[in-house]
Amino acid sequence: MRRYLTRRLLSLVPVLAGVSVVVFLVLHLSPGDPAEIMLGSQATQEDLARLRAELGLTEPFPIQYLRWLGHVLQGDLGRSIWTRRPVLREVLDRFRATLVLTGSALLLSTVGGIALGIASATRRNSFLDRVSAVVSLFGASMPVFWLGIVLMVLFSLWLGWLPASGMSAPYGGGGVVDLLAHLILPAVTLGAASTAIVARLTRSSMLEVLGQDYIRTARSKGMIERAVVVRHGLWNALMPIVTVVGVQAGYLLGGAVLTETVFAWPGVGTLMVQGILARDFPLVQGCVLVVALSFALINLAVDLLYAYLDPRIRYE
Amino acid sequence: MKQAWLWILAGLIALGAAPEPGQAQTGAAGTLVVGLVAEPVNLDPPQVTDLNSNRVSRRIAETLVTFADESTRVEPNLAESWTISRDGLAYTFKLRKGIQFHDGTPLNAEAVKFSIERQFNPDHPFNKLGKYPFAAYFFGNVKAVEVVSDDTVQFVLKEPRASFLSVLAAGAASIVSPTAVRKHGADYALNPVGTGPFRYVSWERGQRVVLERNPNYWKHPVKVERVVFRPIVEDQARLTELLTGSLDLIVGVPPDFVAQLENNPKIGLLKQVGAHVWYLGINNQKKPFDDKRVRQALNFAVNKEAIVRDVLKGTGAVSRGPVLPDTWGADPALKAYPYDPERAKKLLAEAGYPNGFATTLWVPESGSGMQSPVAMSTVIQSNLRAVGVNVTLQTMEWGAFLAKLRSKEQELFALSWMAGAEDPDLVVYPLLHSSQWTPTGPNRALYKNSRLDELLNQARSVTDQSKRAELYREAQRILVDDPPWVFIDHEIQIAAFSRRVQGLKLHPSFDLRVETISLR
Repeated sequence: MRRYLTRRLLSLVPVLAGVSVVVFLVLHLSPGDPAEIMLGSQATQEDLARLRAELGLTEPFPIQYLRWLGHVLQGDLGRSIWTRRPVLREVLDRFRATLVLTGSALLLSTVGGIALGIASATRRNSFLDRVSAVVSLFGASMPVFWLGIVLMVLFSLWLGWLPASGMSAPYGGGGVVDLLAHLILPAVTLGAASTAIVARLTRSSMLEVLGQDYIRTARSKGMIERAVVVRHGLWNALMPIVTVVGVQAGYLLGGAVLTETVFAWPGVGTLMVQGILARDFPLVQGCVLVVALSFALINLAVDLLYAYLDPRIRYE
Repeated sequence: MKQAWLWILAGLIALGAAPEPGQAQTGAAGTLVVGLVAEPVNLDPPQVTDLNSNRVSRRIAETLVTFADESTRVEPNLAESWTISRDGLAYTFKLRKGIQFHDGTPLNAEAVKFSIERQFNPDHPFNKLGKYPFAAYFFGNVKAVEVVSDDTVQFVLKEPRASFLSVLAAGAASIVSPTAVRKHGADYALNPVGTGPFRYVSWERGQRVVLERNPNYWKHPVKVERVVFRPIVEDQARLTELLTGSLDLIVGVPPDFVAQLENNPKIGLLKQVGAHVWYLGINNQKKPFDDKRVRQALNFAVNKEAIVRDVLKGTGAVSRGPVLPDTWGADPALKAYPYDPERAKKLLAEAGYPNGFATTLWVPESGSGMQSPVAMSTVIQSNLRAVGVNVTLQTMEWGAFLAKLRSKEQELFALSWMAGAEDPDLVVYPLLHSSQWTPTGPNRALYKNSRLDELLNQARSVTDQSKRAELYREAQRILVDDPPWVFIDHEIQIAAFSRRVQGLKLHPSFDLRVETISLR
């Protein structure tokens, strides 16, 4: 197990290196010069040249990349071109908010999705099953930003139940209740699609398991139905669910960019959008690296969870 | 299993609810909450290029002179008076006595010299702090800043430039505490200290900037205790927050929301034409645009009223020329080109293009001051097609667009200008004087008119404002007869606010002077 873990952690290195090369190239080859954007339309040719030199943009890509990589290896992600603050500090400042949002959305989609899936599977073709099918289809096909705005107009503007945006009040001393109030709309928006996917998968996985012989055996032994469904059914249906939840975790991290923008959630997503618009290369690179690292760690966690859930799997 | 979920939930909540240092109550009595369209970038005044940072940073640090409320007339501020030498080269300012920065440092000539000199003198120890985008444009002409006495400071220019007072009223010319700059170095941008109506309290990244009232403000008592600036990028979210009362005031109301807000009795709206001009640039050196009749024809062909009405929904005022209307430099007798496609066709025929021609219009997707560039350009395209000019739109990313304009290969391009547009010299000279041709300067239309050059040179060296106004009026008459661009509109800035807010005024410079506000 320990050897497996070490190997998997080491395998992150080439993955992250690959990510860094791709991000670096995409950013530097895309049109748009940070110097032009920073200095605006009143800039003189000399100012631009000086700024480009100052930012190290005049050197060839490989040199720029290697220099940046060298700093990254020492834990220095550089300074944001715009704010002049260290990128690492900038990203970590925001990462907590992203974690709260994606974590809540994941929690919602896992708990909600599995519950919905079990309910549908055990009451197949019932009214609840059909409603759940419609809701899932709806949830899976709504674009995040559209759903976000619809929920905002409904619950903030018309009903006045929840605040529209910005996790700013809890930091202002609003406490847990206030945080939850701010969290509900973005978490539901972000988690809707994943909830739907988890629910559908749970349903089909459960249906398959519930048709197995050992379930019939358990029932005929006189085991109570709840225990049959949860202990024998769910536990055995869990493997594909864990996989899809792992995939969803990554998806949520990406979806957070849009959700954060809609709800002015102060996370890495809004920071990244800001960085892209300003062609703030170090900042965007830092955001992507941190997100890629979390993504890779989530995958690792999912793999380890397999071993825990299914004793047949052994890692060598 | 069940317990694990509870732990995760508890962990998430703890993560989110952990208190932050420097926190402040929102909605507390005396707190004004302002919604911005994006997060401020930097609060060191000479490094500020965006309106969001500018609106915050100008609350903290002040300038020697300033624009009077609701006009572009320059009036005393930190300097109580000034004299200009007869040759127009030396500007001597007498500072108001007894003013202190928020950190207790006294405001004196040394601080003024420090704040301005660091921007253009490469040997200054704090020159390397920032990128100072306006340094060359605003202060490239400054030879030296001299401390005459503790409360007297003198600027010596290389060449006369009558707009220099307007330059000193710009945000980039704000006077900051030298003590604070020395103390914080590169982090000064996150710890700004000035003499302004509000003191900097905290900046929670992505969430808000908090300022509190400066109890020792020299100019007038400030009525609100705190101002909180919150960046909310999404238009609908910003609007919802205003309508639900979480925000007191928003600026940058999207055109599509104006009608909705106008009909809402709980919301007040304020409009003000800004120091801004949006124009359809024409490459004056390229055929067929080197013919004045062709450029006039384009001006007749474009329906500016329709653009302002249908695309901008009233958030723009039709422009008659480059100079901000209703200011001292504008010519009230000047008429905008009327929409007259027949006349356009006739002029094109006279110029030898009875069947029109084909051309390309470069459009940035977005960009500071660009309003709705693609939608506006689409209307222009169909207007021009109606008179036989077949326009291909080429949309580009903002940075790529600016870089491409340096190639001089443009035919038509959509661009706007607001840097220092309160003074005619700071618009007409950089954009239309022949010495300012791109790539050296911002004259991307490659316009050259020797009579205009002469007038603009002259207007720089006389300091008497009524004489300058006369020269600019003649300049505008030339520019209408021999148009370098198609003049489109001046942005109308719109603020929407709850009925709590009293006494707000909007300024043509896009400054948001919340220190005049009191809360009901």
